[in-house]
Amino acid sequence: MKKSLYETDEAVIEGIRRSDERALAHLYKLYFPVISHFILSNSGTDDEAKDIYQEGVIVFYEKIRDNSLELTCQIKTYLYSVCRRLWLKRLAEKGRYATRLDESEGFVPVEEDTQRHEEQEKQFGVMGEALEQLGEPCRSLLEDYYIRMQNMQDITDKFGYTNTDTAKNQKYKCLQRLKKIFFATYKPEV
Amino acid sequence: MLEYRAYEEIERYLNGQMTAEEKAGFEALVRTDARLAEQVREHRELLATMKGLGERQQLRQKLHLIHEEMEREQLPATPNGWRVFWNRHKQTIAVAASVSLLSVFGTLWSVQEMKEPVQQQTARYVELRREVERLKKAQTAIINGINDAAKPAPRPAAFSGTGFAISPEGYVVTSSHVVEGADSIMIENKAGLKYKVSEIYRDEIHDLSILKVADENFETFGKLPYAFKGAECDLGERVFTLGYPREDIVFGEGSLSSASGFEGDTTAYQISIPLNPGNSGGPLLDDKGNLVGVISGKQAGQEGAAFAIKSAYLLQIIDELSLTAQVNALTIPKNNTLSTQARPQQLKKLRDFVFVVKVYN
Repeated sequence: MKKSLYETDEAVIEGIRRSDERALAHLYKLYFPVISHFILSNSGTDDEAKDIYQEGVIVFYEKIRDNSLELTCQIKTYLYSVCRRLWLKRLAEKGRYATRLDESEGFVPVEEDTQRHEEQEKQFGVMGEALEQLGEPCRSLLEDYYIRMQNMQDITDKFGYTNTDTAKNQKYKCLQRLKKIFFATYKPEV
Repeated sequence: MLEYRAYEEIERYLNGQMTAEEKAGFEALVRTDARLAEQVREHRELLATMKGLGERQQLRQKLHLIHEEMEREQLPATPNGWRVFWNRHKQTIAVAASVSLLSVFGTLWSVQEMKEPVQQQTARYVELRREVERLKKAQTAIINGINDAAKPAPRPAAFSGTGFAISPEGYVVTSSHVVEGADSIMIENKAGLKYKVSEIYRDEIHDLSILKVADENFETFGKLPYAFKGAECDLGERVFTLGYPREDIVFGEGSLSSASGFEGDTTAYQISIPLNPGNSGGPLLDDKGNLVGVISGKQAGQEGAAFAIKSAYLLQIIDELSLTAQVNALTIPKNNTLSTQARPQQLKKLRDFVFVVKVYN
């Protein structure tokens, strides 16, 4: 990994847009110590630091991918702000309110982003559970088709259906069930 | 089966697999059919969520791998806890180290600095010692009180020493440093008899002074119980003295420890009798009660080294005194009546002839 390649924030963002995994890895390794220090010095553990930091990176990464991020500050500050927000929330959930945060960086308001992220997380959580409830082979079938984008022929072969129509029919039934389960639990808050 | 058909259509629509014609028709249908529109919306959301979840899971997996890779990279970089410890505490350690270095060198420096005066002090001290040694060379006059009679004292001050009779006619001997610079001298014995005396002869060299009772009505002290010994005494002979180091008469006993006095002074003996200021001028007698000397002083800073002028020189002075026409010949006691007596009896007889010499100036 060449460090010089991603010396500036712009280079990193550009790398992520190009789906360059090295850019992501570079970014990840570059700012982990800052966030880790923040979490650890505010009554967090190593695992929690890792967890929160990954959430923060996901928020940043997805926003870059969406082209919905208007970065007005350094990536470091943005990540710190997101992680800080997430950690405060986590502390509140744990019933512990940090009366005084040990701040090491300045931060920018990121409430919207984190809220959107949390909403998504909730949605994904429900989806995950729905898929879980669906059971096999429905789950794998749907995942293979919709997530892993395999074509119908491969799926037919893999699951041992006589022809693609049977597979399609099976997929349709599975999707109908998933739809039912998913919308039964998930009500968008908006 | 109708539903399945609708689902196929929706999927094709969402995947963008429809031709423009089909698409326009489908969209027109959606606009009119609320149920279909709802189904499309739900389907779209479902697929988007599923896709999002998939992507999210992939991303998470990726980040997890990156994290593991990062930890692997860090591990060889931090082979043990010391590196972490050092990184975390290097500032503190640096401060502590500099403080300790500073204090060590500061201490060394200040010790070095302070050595100078100390060296000077030792030098002075050596001098002082020399001075002390010089002081030691001077005999410590055994006189009570302020002894600097050479200076005219602004106020009358009383000194005292000891003296003893040398003849019944009222002659008394004492150390000349006792009566030095005196205005008037009084003597008093244990019995309470007081006489005013005057110094009639002084021998500075031997530190001896002869006093005479100045009372015209005075007759005699009575017969002296001791005789003067002209010959030298032997080493180790037991000797004793009576004196007034305080207001009462005090007996002191010891032995003759040297035939010479301070710095080899052959006119004196060294005796091992504990003496104090006030003992000066007291008689030194041997075991048999012969007068062998006159107490004169002791060596400062040395225990048990006192000195007494040999009686031979006292006799010499008495002879000299007799030569001067001023005084009548002294009746020097020839017989020793104490020789056979025990010490307490000797003392009882002696004490009437030993006086406290009070000096006023």
